[in-house]
Amino acid sequence: MKRKSFLQFSAPSLLLMLALLAFPMLMTLWLSVCNCTPQMALVTVQQTGPFGATTVTTQRAKVDATGRALLDCSFVGLNFYRNILGMDKSNANGNETSPTKQGSAGDGYNEFIGALRFTLLYTILTTPFILVGGLAMALAMNHVTHRLKGLFIAASLLPFIITPVVGALSIKWLFRDDGLVPYLLQQVGIQVFWMAQAWSAQLLVIFYGIWHVMPFAFIVFYAGLQGVPQDSLEAARLDGASRWQQFRYVTLPHLASLLVFVTLIHLMDAYRVFEPVLVLTRGAFTTSVQYLTYAVLLEENNAYKASAAAILTLIGIGVLLIPLLRRTWREQRGSD
Amino acid sequence: MKSSTITARIALHLGLGAWLLLACLPIFWMVLISLRDYVDAFSSPLKWVAPITFENYRRLWVAQAFYLNFFNTAVVTLSVVTVSLTVGCLAGYAFSRYRGSLGFWLLLVALAFRAIPHSTLLPAFFSMFDAMGIRNTIFALVLVLVAINQPFTIWMLRSFFMHIPAELDEAAQIDGCTRAQAFRRVIVPVMWPGIVTTGLFSFLLAYNDFLLSSALTNGEKMTMPAAIANAITAESETLLMQGVAGAVSITIPLILLVAFFQKQIVSGLTQGAVKG
Repeated sequence: MKRKSFLQFSAPSLLLMLALLAFPMLMTLWLSVCNCTPQMALVTVQQTGPFGATTVTTQRAKVDATGRALLDCSFVGLNFYRNILGMDKSNANGNETSPTKQGSAGDGYNEFIGALRFTLLYTILTTPFILVGGLAMALAMNHVTHRLKGLFIAASLLPFIITPVVGALSIKWLFRDDGLVPYLLQQVGIQVFWMAQAWSAQLLVIFYGIWHVMPFAFIVFYAGLQGVPQDSLEAARLDGASRWQQFRYVTLPHLASLLVFVTLIHLMDAYRVFEPVLVLTRGAFTTSVQYLTYAVLLEENNAYKASAAAILTLIGIGVLLIPLLRRTWREQRGSD
Repeated sequence: MKSSTITARIALHLGLGAWLLLACLPIFWMVLISLRDYVDAFSSPLKWVAPITFENYRRLWVAQAFYLNFFNTAVVTLSVVTVSLTVGCLAGYAFSRYRGSLGFWLLLVALAFRAIPHSTLLPAFFSMFDAMGIRNTIFALVLVLVAINQPFTIWMLRSFFMHIPAELDEAAQIDGCTRAQAFRRVIVPVMWPGIVTTGLFSFLLAYNDFLLSSALTNGEKMTMPAAIANAITAESETLLMQGVAGAVSITIPLILLVAFFQKQIVSGLTQGAVKG
């Protein structure tokens, strides 16, 4: 295909991505180094009430012709970045820090560092279970009778297909203080208040991650198992290899590229963990990087601080992706 | 020897079956308690059998006008799927047929875009949409969801297109078609299964979206997942039970989807991962 046709065909898609993905990222960068406050004007208002009329002087935002508040924008440089990274000793933005944030002594709770720490913890803890569990399920499913396969596969896909919010909520309702799991645990004498402590809430988020992604690994590995070269297996069996050896020296190498594929996709998605953190912890003692931007934007109502958090998040994923991109670039370079 | 194999197989089926039942337990439980009043759903000690009531569903769908949210979800999802597939098919076809290095780099950039956490775009979206006056509209939400899902859509469609030999294009062009005509009349009909599979994943991404839907719409314009967001922090018992009913309402179409489109889902998940 000629380059002109290529550009003609892909133009709508590329333009959409440019306008709604690339441009907003640049805008976020710009927003993160600004701070806009509404221009305030002193206004004298007459208030009439049951006790007579009084004149009150208050501050009100100045509005322009269309009713939108006039803003005073100034360049504040890296102030918000310092604030979020906990390097700030004073609040540069003048807003009060959220009292609900469990902070170290003094101000400047390391919001971003804390969020990043849990995000990485979540990623590192979920990945091995997903890979091993998915592989085990794939191996098991290979031996299931044909008639039940459809039902089993459909059932296994459910945690993956379900809306993440709904999935996280369903787990929350199971583990609620008056839910099924605490009741069963009480029968054996264990009492845990799952949502009330940091370690248990974090465990639930990790558990959700494993529950939700394992079916994806299972399906990919299961498809891969169908393509294992049967002659190699035959040869190994004739040579006296045990089942474990057959698995380790024939099957596993064949699945190696799929293991890498699933790991990469999961790494990208785990970095963006959001719904379980929102539903199961409400940001109380656990945040993730994506949740942080969301919370700062919608709860603290600070679009500029949120932009700083967003840029830091993007830098984080960029750092994670760089080794992969470099390797691909080198491969491409080598083949030119 | 044969009997031990049979017992082993039965054990495997039972074990796997039990594992799957456990995996679906949260969903089963959710369905069960949606049919109960709060006092029966979250009582201590736990009640295994309790009177069944549809009151939560009635309150949600009728009193809280959940049918509006359902309508919004339907509109958003159908629009996203249609636009995504149209735009994505053109691009996916182009990426599969173009051999130059520009295609490779653009694809890499698109894949990098797939890794973007959605909330990082929200501050910019708020400013942009405020300025354009389309902040709380279905239109803006559809555009955003289409754009966000383009990288994945293009990638999946491209790998399906690669399976269609270029000779087919050439034959059509020799017969007098332009590229566009060849694309529309010859390639697309052959591609139909791949398009259905990609459409399915597009549907899932739009239907299941929560972060962007809840941030970009409000009140009457909310989609279903966004509308049950108050179930996350519901203090009131009635609101909580309505949230449960809402969660189940959202899940029912998905269960039907898995039942009917299982083959396509599996094929889509393995596209590009497994060769051949």
